[in-house]
Amino acid sequence: MLPLSLLNTAVRHPILVELKNGETYNGHLVNCDPWMNINLREVILTSPDGEKFWRLPECYIRGSSIKYLRVPDEIIDMVKESQHKERRAQTGGAGPSGRGGAPGGRGGNTRGRGR
Amino acid sequence: MSEPLQAYMDKTVQIITNDGKVILGTLKGVDTSVNVVLHGSTERVFSQDEGVEIVPLGLYIIRGDNVGIVGLVDEGVDSGIEWSEVKAQPLGSVRHEGGV
Repeated sequence: MLPLSLLNTAVRHPILVELKNGETYNGHLVNCDPWMNINLREVILTSPDGEKFWRLPECYIRGSSIKYLRVPDEIIDMVKESQHKERRAQTGGAGPSGRGGAPGGRGGNTRGRGR
Repeated sequence: MSEPLQAYMDKTVQIITNDGKVILGTLKGVDTSVNVVLHGSTERVFSQDEGVEIVPLGLYIIRGDNVGIVGLVDEGVDSGIEWSEVKAQPLGSVRHEGGV
């Protein structure tokens, strides 16, 4: 499982981010990109010494300044599900959200069909 | 790419980070930047006055920039160690000397 797939799956869930300068950001993950740049909402920022706190309505963190992220345990199971869904969408046909491939495109030998 | 680490997948690994932390967990994922996914991870906090403190951390993504060493843990040997009795100086952080 790719670290960034896990992060993608954590969108809309609470996460904790520690930056290289020791600050920690607790908030809901709104969005992330392939560089690990992230958008958080309803954030509590804690100073490196753990003594000062600030509330931020939202913030944007550059990926390269991150040391680590902590995500809820249950997210790891959701990654498997979303990867299955993606694979189904890619092979086409199966499922209601398929990309309108040829009907029955998955039966038997699918290689080379429908393209 | 990070092919050698694929051999450690789903096994217990110990990561020493650039800021001197020792984190153990089950390796669940890694990418070309050596960003790492650890499941059920714990930190071992070393001190000279008390035994090792074990802090549960849970599901972690450690950014590759911050990864110093990834080592495979021999669970047989590791579980035979009474960590609560181990006293050791904590690691410092990575130092970059000389350089440009």
